[in-house]
Amino acid sequence: MNRRSFLQKSAIATAAAPTIIGGMPLLASSPSSALGSNFMNNDNIVIIIQLFGGNDGLNTIVPAEDDNYYNLRPGISVVKDTAVRILGSDVFLHPALVENVHNGGMLNLLEQGNLAVIENVGYENPNLSHFRSTDIWLSGINSSNPDVRLDTGWVGRYFERNLTNFPLVIPEDPLAIQIGGSLSMLLKSQSGDMGITLRDPDSFFQKGAGLTPDEDYFDPATNNYQEEFNFIRTIAKQSDVYSQKVKAAFDKGTNVVNYSQGFAQQLRLISRLISGGLKSKVYMCFMGGFDTHVQQQQSDNLGFHPSLLNNLSNGICQFMDDAIQQGFGEKVVGLTISEFGRRPFENGSRGTDHGAASVQFVFGRNVNAAVYGNPPDLENFTNNGDIVYQNDYRRVYVDILESWFEETPETIEQILGAKVNRLGTIKKRVTSVPELIEPVNGTPFDLYPNPSRGNSVCSFLLKHPTNVSLTIYDTRGVAVKKIYNGHLNSGFHTIPLTVANSGSFVAVLEANGYHYTSNFSVTR
Amino acid sequence: MNRRGLFQSLMGLQSTNLTDVPTTQTVKSVADMSEKTSPLTRHEATHLLRRVTFGPTPELVNQITGKTPREAVELLLGPDDVTPSTTPGPWIDNPNENPEGIGSAELKNQIEGLMQSNYRSLVNWWLEQMRIEGSTASEKLTLFWSGHFTSEFTFDEYFMPPQLLYRQNLLIRKDRLLNFKALVEDITLDPAMLFYLGGVQNNKGKPNENYARELMELYTCGIGFYTEGDVKEAARVLTGWRANGFLYEPYPNGYFKTYFFPQAHDVEAKQFMGETIPSRTTDSNNESQVREQEVRVLINILFDKRANAIARFISRKMYNFFVYSNGAEVDENALTEMSNTFVSNNFLIRPLLVKLFTSNHFYSTEVMGVQIKTPAEFLIGMQRSIGTALSNTIATMVQLNQELMDPPDVSGWPGYRTWISTATYPTRRNVAESYFRGLSDTVLNQFIRKFPDYTNVRTLAKDLISYFLPVAVSTTREEFYTQELLGNTLDFDYEWPTILNDPVRTARGVRNMLVSMSKAPDFQLC
Repeated sequence: MNRRSFLQKSAIATAAAPTIIGGMPLLASSPSSALGSNFMNNDNIVIIIQLFGGNDGLNTIVPAEDDNYYNLRPGISVVKDTAVRILGSDVFLHPALVENVHNGGMLNLLEQGNLAVIENVGYENPNLSHFRSTDIWLSGINSSNPDVRLDTGWVGRYFERNLTNFPLVIPEDPLAIQIGGSLSMLLKSQSGDMGITLRDPDSFFQKGAGLTPDEDYFDPATNNYQEEFNFIRTIAKQSDVYSQKVKAAFDKGTNVVNYSQGFAQQLRLISRLISGGLKSKVYMCFMGGFDTHVQQQQSDNLGFHPSLLNNLSNGICQFMDDAIQQGFGEKVVGLTISEFGRRPFENGSRGTDHGAASVQFVFGRNVNAAVYGNPPDLENFTNNGDIVYQNDYRRVYVDILESWFEETPETIEQILGAKVNRLGTIKKRVTSVPELIEPVNGTPFDLYPNPSRGNSVCSFLLKHPTNVSLTIYDTRGVAVKKIYNGHLNSGFHTIPLTVANSGSFVAVLEANGYHYTSNFSVTR
Repeated sequence: MNRRGLFQSLMGLQSTNLTDVPTTQTVKSVADMSEKTSPLTRHEATHLLRRVTFGPTPELVNQITGKTPREAVELLLGPDDVTPSTTPGPWIDNPNENPEGIGSAELKNQIEGLMQSNYRSLVNWWLEQMRIEGSTASEKLTLFWSGHFTSEFTFDEYFMPPQLLYRQNLLIRKDRLLNFKALVEDITLDPAMLFYLGGVQNNKGKPNENYARELMELYTCGIGFYTEGDVKEAARVLTGWRANGFLYEPYPNGYFKTYFFPQAHDVEAKQFMGETIPSRTTDSNNESQVREQEVRVLINILFDKRANAIARFISRKMYNFFVYSNGAEVDENALTEMSNTFVSNNFLIRPLLVKLFTSNHFYSTEVMGVQIKTPAEFLIGMQRSIGTALSNTIATMVQLNQELMDPPDVSGWPGYRTWISTATYPTRRNVAESYFRGLSDTVLNQFIRKFPDYTNVRTLAKDLISYFLPVAVSTTREEFYTQELLGNTLDFDYEWPTILNDPVRTARGVRNMLVSMSKAPDFQLC
């Protein structure tokens, strides 16, 4: 009897040759049927920056032309002369995002076409608990009902869909890397953890080697003990395999920009791993301290919250400079998430309590640089006195899944459990498919009458037979009604649509991966 | 749980339940909550120790094997009052200057350095209490409450005075088995808590809602049982409290004590959960009356109106901590019976724990070995298992993401599978291997002689497996471990008495077996 007999069939056998499917090699003893067909069809990468505590949107993108702002915040506002105007707009950046920031800060990033700013991001029935609201953001599922458990992330579910044999088969490179901490719900799925946490590649390399256990998986697990055993066994195997992969990329990669201390170091590590050729799809980093109940800012625009903004902006600007100089700026898109904004009015501790809608940043060479949405309405609040949201928080997720990961609308709806309209912050990198809608009188599709009393007709000309969908969304991006989804022949088509309530809506026609949008209103 | 089911259940769920009747989730009952009266087997006794203490010692296993669960639990819970025999050091009574206002950077750094070294001495003191604890389970319970009523040493840009954290630890220790409602009242005006969640900056006119929200969301009834209006009104009730944490700052009640600052208290009437807390005059705006008539009344209203929600919320947290930390797999029947016990005993904690630890459910095979060891259970448990100390436990705790009295945020440690990741698992493996490899021949020879039938190699192997691993292993693995004891020569059991006469060979066999077990996934479970 010897140790060899403990080695099992499904472990990562050291001799196993990687199978390469759609650009993402997998280590497997099982056949490639474990994979979805369209998995990882490009080398695009996403970086998600979590600002924990609830970032104060009003003191990030400053409504400096609104007197209400100064009345609500006599002690902690940004004086108008000192706020940094985004050229040709009534939108102002907090000076901490620009001054003493690498390469001209977020203003330059925006002017170079590498930054999108989204105003008033939030969701229906805002939850003011850090934890529930964080869960809502990370899961991509908007449910304030505490009885609905949220324990998987939208990124975890995206990966899970494409890895049916996980964890018996694991990808050769980690799917996702989280810098530090315990693994975020974002990367969790029902099948297990879809990412790894990484602190220090050298120490990981030294400690991780050879950790794949001799003991076999329970296959299938039939009770909770066996489920937990398998979970740990998978982490052990990932530690073993990925410690070597990460180290190789780390040693091969480089940084060509000096990064600030603190938060920026997380992005520095990410940049170096990408530079070294690691094929991970998602990186996550974390910044705490945004729960600014007390002493958030002094009258000179300095203080605790401004220094957080400064660190954030420095990190992003240094990373972008590094990425562009090294030539991988094209394949990276980053976004910030934060569970909520703060109350519009300051509290008695020179701080702000938990609020609702806030701002979001999306950065990268392939963003559609713009400010999305209007400055917050500081006269009409929610019943609880909070800022009303204008853009559903999942719209950027849809942009990523659709434009960046090239998932189908059906898949995206299944991942998010709801149909949400894209915001359009991200450009597709390569567009090889032809446009099949032929504009008529200069417009790809016509909606008549508009405004209507509830009934109108959508018409368009299709060049070749294809699948077409027509969906009505509210202005915040959540689907109101699915009008049509099916195959159509070439030619001129008319689709009637009926909306039951008065209001402003957005009709989106999708054909062959292209989207055509028309705003309309209904008065019944 | 399948995903389609999840999404279907999500459709249209936006209602806020503001009654005191928690929704019952899918019932998955595995065993009943009736009292187990049969004596504990050796394996059951070890299971109880794994969960209620920081891990078994051979002496404790021998001591409680054969007792009924009730006898064993009474022994482990011990008396209400347990006072540690040592303190972290004389610094606990010496206030430092507040580094916040100090102009000289050198002096500021010096004081902050002192606060950090005092904090480290506090954590080391507590880790040592855990390691040397005898037959009572008070340290594990203290840790439970410390992770519930969180306070962080470092929060935002501040350092919390370690003197206050020490006092909060003593408070929790004192109340750990007593009345939960009294504990909530104590913690509400606890100096560390007042510092941590903005209580000391909670002023009339513009209240700071931080503590008021967490009092309900995280500390008592949980989300869904209060309105945003309740948060705002509770914050008003709690205006005006201050605490001393530093030298040269006011200390009307003494250093490190809470006091009342009437000018900052909102004397107008408040509406909380449908009840009115009346306004007061300047005459009655003083420490004892506001404490009695507002703070205590606020907590009374909360516990009256939300008794069931609170009982269920705390029972669930206990269940997660002591039985299974997977939130999706809480036994509903257990939860209901625990909650009923908690309410009918007017929120006394001891009867709730006795109910849980003596139940048939607690000893059922369905819950054995399902718990992922927390860093404290892993590191302290390993040291207790053999009886020798590991150097620099505090640094390893940091690497494993459990900084005592400094959890990641106000909700405490997220627990369950977050404890094990590619960042922490390699450290666990390395620390365990070097601990077991480093044990001396003498220690190992003494260690195995604490097991009743150590002269029989088969029995000893079984007992060691049961002692270190929570669930029986396959016969193949058992055979493998037995062969390691025998020195991997040939499988002649009758060699064992000869080997036992050679301390070097004995130690080598035992050491190899312990190292092998520590590498197995189930060594991380308890």
